[in-house]
Amino acid sequence: MASEDEINLLVVVVDVNPIWWGQQAQREPEFTLSKCLDAVMVMGNSHMAMNRTNKLAVIASHCQDSQFLYPSKSWRGGDGGEDASSSGDGKYELLSVANNLIAEEMRNIMSKTEVRGNSTDTLLAGSLAKALCYIHRVSKDMEVGREIKSRILVIKAAEDCALQYMNFMNVIFAAQKQNILIDACVLDSESGLLQQACDITGGLYLKIPKKIALAQYLLWVFLPDSDQRSQLLLPPPVHVDYRAACFCHRNLIEIGYVCSVCLSIFCNFSPICTTCETVFKIPLPHMVKAKKKKLKTST
Amino acid sequence: MDEEPERAKRWEGGYERTWEVLKEDESGSLKATVEEILFQSKRKRVVESHGQVRLGMMRHLYVVIDCSRSMDDHDLKPNRLTSTLKLIEAFVEEYFDQNPISQVGLITTKNKRAEKLTDLAGNPKKHTAALKKAKDTVCIGEPSLYNSLNLAIQTLKHMPGHTSREILIILSSLTTCDPANIYELIKTLKSLKVRVSVIGLSAEVRVCTVLTRETGGSYHVILDESHFKELLMLHVKPPPASSSSECSLIRMGFPQHTMASLTDQDAKPSFSMSHLDSSSAPGLSLGGYFCPQCHSKYTELPVECKVCGLTLVSAPHLARSFHHLFPLQVFTESPLEELQGDRFCQGCEGELKDKCVFTCPSCLKAFCMECDLFIHDSLHCCPCCIHSQSAP
Amino acid sequence: MMMKLRVQLHCKNLHEYLRELSPEILDRLFNHPATCLAVYRELPDLAKNYVMRMLFLEQPLPQAAVALWVKKDSQKDHDECVSVLAGLRLWHIQQLQGGLQGYILNPVFKDNLRIALLGGGKAWADEGSSLGPDRHARDIESLDRYAMERWEVILHFMVGSPSAAVSQDLAQLLVQAGLMKSESGEAPYITSAGFQFLLLDTASQLWYFTLQYLKTAQSRGMELVEILSFLFQLSFSTLGRDYSVEGMSESLLTFLQHLREFGLVFQRKRKSRRYYPTRLAITLAAGVTTNSSSSSSSSSSSSSNMGSTPGTGDAGFIVVETNYRIYAYTSSELQIALVALFSEMLYRFPNVVVAQVTRESVQQAIANGITAQQIIHFLRTRAHPVMLRQTPVLPSTITDQIRLWELERDRLQFTEGVLYNQFLSQADFEVLRDRAQGLDCLVWQDVAHRTMVVTPQGHSEVKRFWKRQKSHT
Repeated sequence: MASEDEINLLVVVVDVNPIWWGQQAQREPEFTLSKCLDAVMVMGNSHMAMNRTNKLAVIASHCQDSQFLYPSKSWRGGDGGEDASSSGDGKYELLSVANNLIAEEMRNIMSKTEVRGNSTDTLLAGSLAKALCYIHRVSKDMEVGREIKSRILVIKAAEDCALQYMNFMNVIFAAQKQNILIDACVLDSESGLLQQACDITGGLYLKIPKKIALAQYLLWVFLPDSDQRSQLLLPPPVHVDYRAACFCHRNLIEIGYVCSVCLSIFCNFSPICTTCETVFKIPLPHMVKAKKKKLKTST
Repeated sequence: MDEEPERAKRWEGGYERTWEVLKEDESGSLKATVEEILFQSKRKRVVESHGQVRLGMMRHLYVVIDCSRSMDDHDLKPNRLTSTLKLIEAFVEEYFDQNPISQVGLITTKNKRAEKLTDLAGNPKKHTAALKKAKDTVCIGEPSLYNSLNLAIQTLKHMPGHTSREILIILSSLTTCDPANIYELIKTLKSLKVRVSVIGLSAEVRVCTVLTRETGGSYHVILDESHFKELLMLHVKPPPASSSSECSLIRMGFPQHTMASLTDQDAKPSFSMSHLDSSSAPGLSLGGYFCPQCHSKYTELPVECKVCGLTLVSAPHLARSFHHLFPLQVFTESPLEELQGDRFCQGCEGELKDKCVFTCPSCLKAFCMECDLFIHDSLHCCPCCIHSQSAP
Repeated sequence: MMMKLRVQLHCKNLHEYLRELSPEILDRLFNHPATCLAVYRELPDLAKNYVMRMLFLEQPLPQAAVALWVKKDSQKDHDECVSVLAGLRLWHIQQLQGGLQGYILNPVFKDNLRIALLGGGKAWADEGSSLGPDRHARDIESLDRYAMERWEVILHFMVGSPSAAVSQDLAQLLVQAGLMKSESGEAPYITSAGFQFLLLDTASQLWYFTLQYLKTAQSRGMELVEILSFLFQLSFSTLGRDYSVEGMSESLLTFLQHLREFGLVFQRKRKSRRYYPTRLAITLAAGVTTNSSSSSSSSSSSSSNMGSTPGTGDAGFIVVETNYRIYAYTSSELQIALVALFSEMLYRFPNVVVAQVTRESVQQAIANGITAQQIIHFLRTRAHPVMLRQTPVLPSTITDQIRLWELERDRLQFTEGVLYNQFLSQADFEVLRDRAQGLDCLVWQDVAHRTMVVTPQGHSEVKRFWKRQKSHT
């Protein structure tokens, strides 16, 4: 039990995109957002129960915003405010306070936040960025001599948002620099961005075959921390596609052209970079073919 | 070329009352002002690092390390050489983190000679190994600026025009032993668009002033070890590309990592091309990156294909440099009293307690100082803007 | 030959303690969610994951499947987990349908751990809310102060401060625990184990004391399971909240009064219907695991400051310099007295004392039964934050020197033995000596004086040999 004086912080980022969950409720009425949140609470409770020094934070990733569900701003841990009443059953008090808070904050978000547009993309990068800021603050607040080990678990429902690529990569590299694992539990379609995130930071990526069993998957695969993972047999790393997508057509390419100034990637040669508008010196052997690229796809 | 006015020396300036910055508070404590000064210096780093247009993202940098007798001095602990090597090691790590598709080479100079420690290469491991070995170097004789620069030029002049050509000299000695007129060499450097920067460990030397001024580099003399580190880290960020430098589209390969055994049952492990020139024991492996053009195998990226010359990278390598190209705006500082609404940081959800808050100019959300530093140093994107905008 | 054994204070951790309990007590302990959670937290990390994986399964799992959970090179850890889980009766082996052996969690433990995690069942204790808000509500700070005061009174009593008075029960408990000794009606005085106890950090002291209390609980007519459950329940309660004594049995109420005297709970009046757990109670279970490193037998305690209970005021006030000086930034008489146990006082100021560690002072402490390891541990766990920033926390010259001073006393090694002398001839001596050597029981010999010493185990054999030898000649 060498990990006694080490604080283990788990930040769970839950995708609560209302449009996706709305559609999901129609597709599979037995697995709804509240079921998913239950699973998250089971996971959070198990994490906090494991060790006295384990800490938890939960972030809801909405379509335009991300909110902390726990610990929330209004509740400052420890002072036992009036609203932090326990549920009056046999649950560990700390856990029931946390769960009540999560449920309440979630209700707030769902009733207050209006949904604009109909995109089912979730802006995960923003939630991850907030998670990193939070972890950064918690580790700064630590007493001297204490160590903190943090990881982020993403529970992802909706589609990847391709436009977020650059921000997402920035977040991943920041996490890698801080030695923060990013784990991903994907409910629906595979996420290329999260695959890269997990691969680069050394976390686990799992697309669960049965949504209804989410809680069990979380407990089996994602509950062990990095030390325990070295002992356990866990799903093998996924094969990550590191091919680049060209900026002009978003095709995955094996050989491409990279602008020496802004590093934009193109699938074939063009005399002017569409991103930074640099005019290129034309290499002799190439035939210059002016393709119309009025589409400004800056990413 | 000697006629340019030198910038004024510190001792030529007016009489500064540096101690007057410190003010006692009612109880006679200096704590508040000292904290203020620390705060300002933290902040300065963020503000300074902005305002460029085009950067030389693909860099070729030679680091010249003085190993002359003067490196035995003990003003840096335990001595100048050990301290320098340790810092260079950190520098190399950070350099490749920030410039993933760039290359570095190391040159040492002592006893009037210059010697290549490592060739230009894109893998930090080789350099760190060489630096570790160099710890036992005996520091003797005088350095030779001319020979070092000449040695670096031999390789740099063959580098393509769209990349930056840079030399960084760590000079400890106050003298140099040159076989020919160094001013001729400076002219050559200038015509080859090689940028030379110098970090001096003892005092300013005129030849270096001229050298850096002519080639567009920077010249600094260290105050102490932490200043030394700071100066080195200034060279991590890519320098602005000179307007005359060529631009071109470079053909690059994005190989996938494939395991031979997955596709074919009786696959045999094979050697990787990267072991061709290295003295280390060749490693047999099943998987690897295969050049999409000629199918030679490599175990690591980025690398330049030994067979067909194609630069092989992976997409994240390029993405790592993006934040240089699309830097985050500086947040505006304002006193806490002026803030409307909740007094909570939008990043870490902590209560805003400092005197100042920092507001993102595009989404107008407020952050605490720690988050502001973290966002600009590591994250490179505003956590709130990501939500509102779908494209950067 | 004489033999002297140094009495060493050894306190078990919770795990060791539980293992010694009888199976039926264990089974009854699992009837409360709080104990289940406490036991669960004490498991090795890997075993915790095993429990979590099986917590929501109703069917037994085949042994072979469980064995496949770990990587090959962690097989040893796996075996350890299996034995720990079985030892604490957390899982049973059950026959599967195909004749295979399977594991299933102890159903009582499983149900109660589920309740602790997810809710259901009945509330642990009646909450203070039923009493309405407390007009004399206590904030966390005053609770901390109260707890520390109470605890220090006990320590003061041990060092014999005249101002400190404790109840008869408590004094008796201290004597029973071997920390104090009382001879024929005289006031009790501290033993060497008591000195060692004083140098422990608060959490370990508390745990050691609690263990001693539990040992004697049954003899004073208390139900072990009941008070253990209550103790764990306390350790999971929230600091700064009030709880009601409603529904507590008579023996539990007595126990509560004892806890009140230790400073584990705050009760405004003896008859008050509500109590506040203090930080001491809440960190009780947390201190359990760390004291395994503070027990002097372990090689070297981890360089952590976990041992000092955060927020209880005794954390971090000692600066040790390489010139053997100790600066203790404290005004607590007790802490000063503790520092003085192994050092010479030089100066005293209102908020700081300066002391010097010398050979004499350390030798004196060691003669009192304190070990060098305990002195070092004391200094390390109470190191000032400035010290904590450097590695190692204490200057190695100091730690080495204290250990060396201890070794100085250990130049003599005592071995029991039986002396043989007054041999009539050199030949007789040599025959017997060779025999003893052959039996590997010769401790010492002096050829010139025909003297030898054999171990007590070898004595009978050598004696028999000598008798036979004599009858032959």
